Amino acid sequence: MTAWHRVASVSDVREGEAFPAELNGVAIALYRVDGEVHAVDDTCTHEFAQLSQGFIDDGTVECPLHAAQFDIATGKCLSGPASQDLRVYPVRVDGDDIFVGEPD
Amino acid sequence: MFLRNYWYVAASDFEIGRKPMRRLILGEPIVFFRTEDGTPVAFEDRCAHRHLPLSMGKLVGDTLQCHYHGLRYDTTGTCVRVPGQDMIPPSARVKTYPVVQRYHWVWIWMGDPALADPAKITDYHWLDDPNWGAKPQYLHVKANWQLIVDNLLDLTHLAFVHETTIGNSALVEHASVKVQRKEDNVVVTRWIIDQPAPPTFVKVGGFTSNVDRWQIIDFTPPAFLRLDVGATPTGTGAPEGRRVGGISMRNLNAITPETESTCHYFWGQAHDFDIHNRETTDKITDQIRTAFLEDVAVFEAQQVNLELIPNPPQTDINADTGVIQARRITDRLHQEEQAAAAAQRVAAE
Repeated sequence: MTAWHRVASVSDVREGEAFPAELNGVAIALYRVDGEVHAVDDTCTHEFAQLSQGFIDDGTVECPLHAAQFDIATGKCLSGPASQDLRVYPVRVDGDDIFVGEPD
Repeated sequence: MFLRNYWYVAASDFEIGRKPMRRLILGEPIVFFRTEDGTPVAFEDRCAHRHLPLSMGKLVGDTLQCHYHGLRYDTTGTCVRVPGQDMIPPSARVKTYPVVQRYHWVWIWMGDPALADPAKITDYHWLDDPNWGAKPQYLHVKANWQLIVDNLLDLTHLAFVHETTIGNSALVEHASVKVQRKEDNVVVTRWIIDQPAPPTFVKVGGFTSNVDRWQIIDFTPPAFLRLDVGATPTGTGAPEGRRVGGISMRNLNAITPETESTCHYFWGQAHDFDIHNRETTDKITDQIRTAFLEDVAVFEAQQVNLELIPNPPQTDINADTGVIQARRITDRLHQEEQAAAAAQRVAAE
């Protein structure tokens, strides 16, 4: 049974921007890609930079420091210097609220 | 590493006159002087004959006469007189550089003269705009020019290096930062909302309560950093573009490499309040100079370490985003210049 936490309002998360949030003390970031909201870890797996400060392009986020690229929807690392993928979190939109599910 | 096809600030306008002045720019010795009608001229500072700096010579009308054997050069760098002989060897000429006077500075083009378009000079109009007060300044720094670029793109250092003037901890711990990058430009925007004003702002802006403070840093290569900075009483609408009841300034920086390990740091602090009051301009300039001398101590100490341990590994932190994007642009432009120069050499062979 997934535990859901309200982390943002629908209007907080806009196309082309990142919305940093926290889930039980873990830094996550919300993105909107083609209308759909996604939640992934906000810490680069390489040198722990804050990815929500990075650059968003075509469904990917580029780390602000060393340019590792991640797919926002799948968390997959697309290019170095990072090698580990980002954790993705289930997202539920209920009216004006965005909920993120705690991983098991 | 230097970028060549750019206008650089070579000197403050008052530094160049009828007495030839030597200055190293991008490692090249250059002599500056003005013609009788006041036009600035720049040559390679080396006589074509026996290499004495021409800056040791003197002006005779609009010609520059070498101190050693009296060869005279006109403003095109062509030798027009060799004492004791009528014939002038065709090789007797020195390289000249395009120069333009603008914004109280004399600018020099260090690349291919055919590309020297004055329209490409970076805008520093605040230094001679009647709607702003400003007094351009110069510092000589014994450090690589990119260390200064890095410094101005990450202002979190204000909280530590400049806590007696323009910094306080609010700008690290309570700021929202956004970095925008374009092909040849980086903009770092920092807002510090509803926080105490730093000492300099209290002194010149008279703030008695919390402020909304902004720092909008524009980086244009190679080393032009124009900062839009200021503060207004908190909650009066500055983040939405309504700047009232506060102060707005432009911190204007143009860094010109002298050598790989030294540079010329031209700067000015323009202010949009009390603009005709010389005392205000002096007070602001003095505050910023105090802060900048604290920076220079940092740059020169970094340089010492970097010469002892060249290219050491380094750690990057979140605040480095603007710095890293700017360095990436500079590296790309350098590679492009190197590739173009190599292609030109091949074409010439």
